[in-house]
Amino acid sequence: MDRFELRRLDYSLSDDHVDLQSAYKQFFKTHCSIETVRAAEPSGFDKNLWERLCAMGATTMALPESCGGDGATLVDLTLVAEEIGRSLAPVPWIDHVCAARLLARLGALGADTAGVANGEQLTALDARIDGAPGVRLIPSGSIADHIIVRDGDEVVRLTFGTRPAKVDNIGRLPMAWVDPATADTRAVVASGSDALANYQRALDEWRLLTAAALVGMVEETMTIAAEFAKTRYTLGVPISTLQAISHPLANMAITVQGGRNLARRAAWFLDNEPDERPELASSAFVFMAEEAAKAATMAVHIQGGLGVSAEAAATAYLVRARGWPLAGGDPGASATRIAEIVAARESALRDARV
Amino acid sequence: MDFSRVELSDQDKAFYDEARSFLKTHVTEEVRRRDRETGDNFDEGLHLAFGEAGYLAAEWKPHSQGGFTRVRRRIWELEKRRAHVPWVTWGTTAMVARSLVKFGSPELQDEVMPGVFNGRVRMCLGYTEPEGGSDVATCKTRAVRDDDAWIINGSKMFTTGAHNCQYVFLITNTAADAPKHKSLTMFLVPLDSPGIEIQGIRTVDGDRTNIVYYSDVRVDDKYRLGEVNAGWTVLREPLNTEHGAIVAAPDGLQDNSIMMHQAGSMVEAVDRAAARVTQPDLGGRRLLADQSVAYRLGRSFARMEAALSAPNIFGRVAIAQTMRDISPDLMDILGAASALAFGTDGAADDGSAEYVYRFAPLVGIYGGTLEVFRNMIGQYMLGLGKPNYSPPLKKTS
Repeated sequence: MDRFELRRLDYSLSDDHVDLQSAYKQFFKTHCSIETVRAAEPSGFDKNLWERLCAMGATTMALPESCGGDGATLVDLTLVAEEIGRSLAPVPWIDHVCAARLLARLGALGADTAGVANGEQLTALDARIDGAPGVRLIPSGSIADHIIVRDGDEVVRLTFGTRPAKVDNIGRLPMAWVDPATADTRAVVASGSDALANYQRALDEWRLLTAAALVGMVEETMTIAAEFAKTRYTLGVPISTLQAISHPLANMAITVQGGRNLARRAAWFLDNEPDERPELASSAFVFMAEEAAKAATMAVHIQGGLGVSAEAAATAYLVRARGWPLAGGDPGASATRIAEIVAARESALRDARV
Repeated sequence: MDFSRVELSDQDKAFYDEARSFLKTHVTEEVRRRDRETGDNFDEGLHLAFGEAGYLAAEWKPHSQGGFTRVRRRIWELEKRRAHVPWVTWGTTAMVARSLVKFGSPELQDEVMPGVFNGRVRMCLGYTEPEGGSDVATCKTRAVRDDDAWIINGSKMFTTGAHNCQYVFLITNTAADAPKHKSLTMFLVPLDSPGIEIQGIRTVDGDRTNIVYYSDVRVDDKYRLGEVNAGWTVLREPLNTEHGAIVAAPDGLQDNSIMMHQAGSMVEAVDRAAARVTQPDLGGRRLLADQSVAYRLGRSFARMEAALSAPNIFGRVAIAQTMRDISPDLMDILGAASALAFGTDGAADDGSAEYVYRFAPLVGIYGGTLEVFRNMIGQYMLGLGKPNYSPPLKKTS
């Protein structure tokens, strides 16, 4: 690609962006304390929090106006996702909006899915890029009313009379083993290459929003660790003044700044010029999936014996920093996808020059 | 938030075409070859051509004083990078010139500034000392008053471009017993003064820098910038710039961090690797078909884009660190022929990745080491406090 093309490089948020961001930051601060997060661990889901969130418009905003939504941009959605990560909110908002937007794009929001837009009905999706057929783990499979999966060149919507049982998992997600063959209903939503392209777009959006959530997660666990380090003394000095502590914290801050801007740029391109930089959503995801686990581990380490306690906030971040991205399968599959996109682009350019 | 293509007016489009054609005419293959061979990161003929065409003045002056508009400045910046214009000596010249107009006497400005604009005067930085390192305030080079002049003795490392420059922006110690930030005085020392010896040093990336020795160098007081012992005031602003304290521009017409020249080499290596892995070998096999190649390329790409996205001081650390982190993987996936340097027959990527590997150590020390910047992020962004160090050793001799 032309790296010297004259484009604007403006990462700033508009006043509307800032208002949206502040509203959700405040919402989760008020309604999603670490105690709320812990209390939801057995089911992986806080129904009360979800209903409040939906009442705020967090699900309808994500749908186009033609489907009764508010037509938010992906940039807007990254701002919400970041606050979800920051607060570790036990709500399947990312899965739901990616699946609902997919149904909307495929023209499949109808009478059967009437409660999807406002979140009364939950939609889940298989977030894997390279998913094998058969039984698979669906990140919000134990609470979803509709589960969207790919089957060959079809995109299908599954429902279960009895919801699949939740399995405990490191991400504290409402995850379940789902066998499409045992679904009570199976509706083909769309088929063919266009349907698959739309499914891929949903996977890209899932990666983008998960990356944004991981940015919020890393920033919060970094902040908690930094506050701890400022008040913890060794040999008469705060450990925050020791470079073995301060430099890893600085690296986390760099991760947050780079990952956040990359996710926003990726979102802007998907919103405005979707064919121009389709690899950026995966790039944000691959970067954050790797860095979040490292950062969360270091944040625990900085807090030493207190950090490793199961009651410490740091360990709540530790397990989700790993479990949330992993719910989409091996992040390496996203790295491979990036390589395929950029190699095709660069070799086409090279051939054009010859 | 905006990453869109900039719509150009007809006049700006004409400027764009003119700039590209000027660069194509003057940045010849010969200029680039000479730059690689000398490691100078400067070409006098090209620089004088820029001066004569008015590009140096237009770039240096703000629009209100006849300089480029924001959009033309950005076009010029990007097109110079595209053309691989050597950048270091003009960069230091432009920076020192800002201190000169702020702190130099009108007489000195009249002597120097016309040459800055026509290209005949270039200026370099005399900051680091052989025993110093990143802390520019530890300065042993002494300047001692002698009537209307000063006598300077000492030595400076990394005075890049000195052999192509007319003046050096020199930090001297003028109060040996004062606290270090109250002991410095800045001079703009003419490099043709007797007693100056410039010794070239080649660095592992192929560039040339210098160690400069000052032996009883006599400098008239008119070359002093700022007050005596107030050198820190003079230095602070260019240092802030060099450290990457960039304020984001609302029009999006500038880099979001410094080190974008350096990052450009990494971008080129990644994009070249991406093109290379689709080429079939004699057996028809493409490197990309190997999933471990695809994985490493994709991961490198992701890390690079994150580094390019990080703003200001975060960005400069991210870029330098990422160059170090991903260049070995890029070389590995291209195989043994990635060991071959630029211009070598059969080189996998014309030496792009191996160059990034050799360049990355330098990028992590320019204008302060990675540790200096991590300290600054920790102290000023995260509020972690001033770093603690072990107590100074008592010298026994």
